[in-house]
Amino acid sequence: MAAELVTAVDVGMSVEAIKASQMGMKALGAGIAVGLTGIGTGIAEMGIGSAAVGAVAENKDMFGLALLFTVIPETIVIFGLVVGLLLLFL
Amino acid sequence: MLTPKWMSRLLIAASRDQMAPVVAELYRHHLFHIEEFVEAGAEGYEGFKIGTPLSGASEASVDLVKIRAIENATSIQGDDIDSAKVSTRTELRSRIERDLPVLEKEVEDLTVRRSQLDARVKENEQRIAEITPFLTLTVDLDLYRGYAGFSVFAGYVDREVTLTLPCEISYTTGKEKNFIVIVAPVGQRNEVEQALQAAAFQSVQIPEESGAPQARIDHYTAEISRMRTELGEIIQKLEEIRTKHSGFLVACEELLRAEVEQTEAPLRFATTKQTFVAEGWVPSERVDAVTDALVKTTGGKIYVTVLPIDFEHDNVPVEYNNPSFAKPTQVLIDVFNRPRYTEIDPTLMVSIVFPIFFGLILGDVGYGLILLAMALGLRKFMKGEEGQQLLAVLRNASISTIIFGVLYSEFLGFAIPGLKPIMPSRHLIAEHGGHGPMIPDLMILSIWIGILHITLGRILGMINHARQDHGDHRIKAVMANLGWLAVMWGILIAIWSIAALPLMPNLTGLLSVVSIVNIGGVIGAILVVIGVAFIARDSMLEVVEIPTIISHVLSYARIVAVGLSSVAIAMVINFIAIGMFIEPQLKNFTLFSIFIILAGIVIFLLGHALNTALGILGGGLHSIRLHYVEFFTKFYKGGGVKYIPFGMKRRFTED
Repeated sequence: MAAELVTAVDVGMSVEAIKASQMGMKALGAGIAVGLTGIGTGIAEMGIGSAAVGAVAENKDMFGLALLFTVIPETIVIFGLVVGLLLLFL
Repeated sequence: MLTPKWMSRLLIAASRDQMAPVVAELYRHHLFHIEEFVEAGAEGYEGFKIGTPLSGASEASVDLVKIRAIENATSIQGDDIDSAKVSTRTELRSRIERDLPVLEKEVEDLTVRRSQLDARVKENEQRIAEITPFLTLTVDLDLYRGYAGFSVFAGYVDREVTLTLPCEISYTTGKEKNFIVIVAPVGQRNEVEQALQAAAFQSVQIPEESGAPQARIDHYTAEISRMRTELGEIIQKLEEIRTKHSGFLVACEELLRAEVEQTEAPLRFATTKQTFVAEGWVPSERVDAVTDALVKTTGGKIYVTVLPIDFEHDNVPVEYNNPSFAKPTQVLIDVFNRPRYTEIDPTLMVSIVFPIFFGLILGDVGYGLILLAMALGLRKFMKGEEGQQLLAVLRNASISTIIFGVLYSEFLGFAIPGLKPIMPSRHLIAEHGGHGPMIPDLMILSIWIGILHITLGRILGMINHARQDHGDHRIKAVMANLGWLAVMWGILIAIWSIAALPLMPNLTGLLSVVSIVNIGGVIGAILVVIGVAFIARDSMLEVVEIPTIISHVLSYARIVAVGLSSVAIAMVINFIAIGMFIEPQLKNFTLFSIFIILAGIVIFLLGHALNTALGILGGGLHSIRLHYVEFFTKFYKGGGVKYIPFGMKRRFTED
C-alpha cells in the first residue's frame, strides 16, 4: 500500500526536489497561519479598539482597562505565530 | 516597598479664630490630604455646616482670573519656564498692585483688536467669495439689482438653459459648475424658474456691491493684507509682553493660586459658629511633625488626634513608596490605575522586569545606544514630571537593551565580530562562524519567562486576597489562586512526561502506567483536577477561563517574535544598503558610484531610524502589555485615590 503510494507520487522527482517542495509547503503553511490569524485579530480588535478609544476620550481613567480589552484578541495571532514557528523550525 | 506609604487619619479641631494660621501651616507643610466634609448624612457631624472662605478670597480670585487671562492671551505656560528667579511675596504684591492693571489693559486692548481684525478678515474673505462667480461678466455689480420690471437670476446649473421668451442670458462653463445669469421680465418669472429647476439650479446671492467685480476684489484683497500686517504687529507685541513678563506672570499665578487655595480651604471643613473640624490624611511617619507644628502655631489652642482607619468605608489616599530607581515606573502604573491602599504595589517589580523584557525584545547594542542618547538628550526639552519619568523609563530600558545586545551579539542587526552570543542566537543567517536562529531555544526561554511571571502574579494574588478579603471568601479566593497555579503546573508536568523539550525537565523516563502515560502524567492530571476544583469552589464561571492559562503563557512568545522581526528588518536594511548598493559599487568604482553609495547610506540611515521607532513601539508596548494583561490580571485591581496633599511645590515664589 505504502509502496504503491510512493510510486504514485513519484513522477520523476528527485529526493532533493521533494524535500524542497516539502519545505516550500511548510513555509506556505506558516505564512497562511500567521496571515489569517493576523486578519482575524485585526477584525476582532477593530470593534473593540474603536469603542475603547471612545471610552478613553470620555474618561481618561479607562485607559488601562481599555487597552486590556483591546489586546485580548492578540492571542489569536500569537497562536498563529507559534504554529508558524513550529512548522518552520521543529 | 511593595506597599503604599502608611497613612494616618488625622482630625483637627480648633476655634474659628485659629482657622487662618492652621490653614497656612497645613499649606506650608504640603502633607495634609483633606477629606472633604459633606453636609448631608455625615455621621457624628450633626449641626455642622460647610465653612465659608477666609477674608481676601474674592480679591485674590479676581486677580488670579486676570492673570490667567493674560497668560492665555500670550500663551504662557508655567511648565515651559525654568524657575531661575524666585520672588518674595512682598515684592510680588507690590508689583501686582502697580503693574498688573497696566498690563491687563494693554493685553486686553490687543486681544480685542486682534479678534476684531480676525472677524473683519473673515468678513472680507466672505465678500470676495461672493463676488468671484461674477468675475467672468464684465458688467458692474450695481447693474444686477434695483429693477422694477425685471427679475435677475444668478446661480449654478448643470447644463445650458435656453428660453424662448424675451430675456438676456449669460452662460459660462466652469470646471465643476456652470454659472448662469438671466435677466427676464417680472411677468415671466414662473417660466424662467421652471426652466432653471430642470437644469438643477442653485441660486447665488447677488452681492450688495457697486463697481466692476475685479476692482471690488482688489479692494478687499488690499484690505485683508493691510489687516494681516496689523495682526502681525499685534502678535509681535504680545510676543514681546510674553518674553518680558512671563517670569512675573507665572510667579504671580503661583502666589495667587496659593492664596486662593488657602482662603477657600474652609469650604472643605466642617464648622460651627465657634469651631471648625478638619479631617484628612497624613503619611504616618509625618504625623508627629504636623501635630507639633500645629500646636506651636496656635499656642496649644488646638486638638489634633489620630483616628482609627475603617478599611470598609474609608477611601485611604495612596502615595507610592518606592526606592528612587523605581520611581519613574510609577508613571506606567498610573496609566493603568493607582494601587489601592491595601493592595500590593507592583511598581518595584515592573521597574525591574519591564527593562528586562524591553531588552530581550530589542536586544541590540546599536539601537540601545541610539535610545540611550535619545533618552538623555530629550531630558532638556521635555518639561513636566511625567515626561521626565517616561524618559527615565526609556533610559533604563535602553541600558538593558545594550546589555542584552551584548548577550545576543547584535549591533544594528550585524553580529559583533569575535563575540559569540551567550543567549541563543537570533541571527537569521549564520555570520562569523556563528549559529543560525535558535528558534526552539528562544521559544522555550520565553515560555519559561511566562511561566515564572504568571506564577509570581498568582502568588501575589494569594497575598492580596489574604490581606483584603474576609471570612469564608478569603480562604476560597486564596485557594482559587492556588488552583490556577496547580492547573498550570499540572499541564506542564503532563507535557514534560509525554515529550522531551529542550531547556525543560525531561520526565519521559518515569515509570510508565498505561502506554505513553507515566507517573508524571498522572501527577499532572491530579494537579489539574484539584486545581479546577479549587477554582470552581470560588466561582463556577471562572472555570470557563481555564484555556487562558495556555493562551497567557504562549503570549510571552511575543518576546521572541517581536524581537526576531526587529532583527529581520535590520538585516534586510543592511542587505539592501550595503549588499545591493554600496559593496558592488566599491568593487567597480566609477564617478557615478558616489551617488549610488550616497543613496545606500541614506537607505541605511532611514531604515535604521524606522527600525528604532518600531523598536520603541514593539519593545515598549509589548512589554507593558505583558504586564498589564498577563501579569496584573492575576492579582492587581487598582483604583486607589491619589494622595493630593494640601499645598503646592513652590517653583517661582517663596513663603
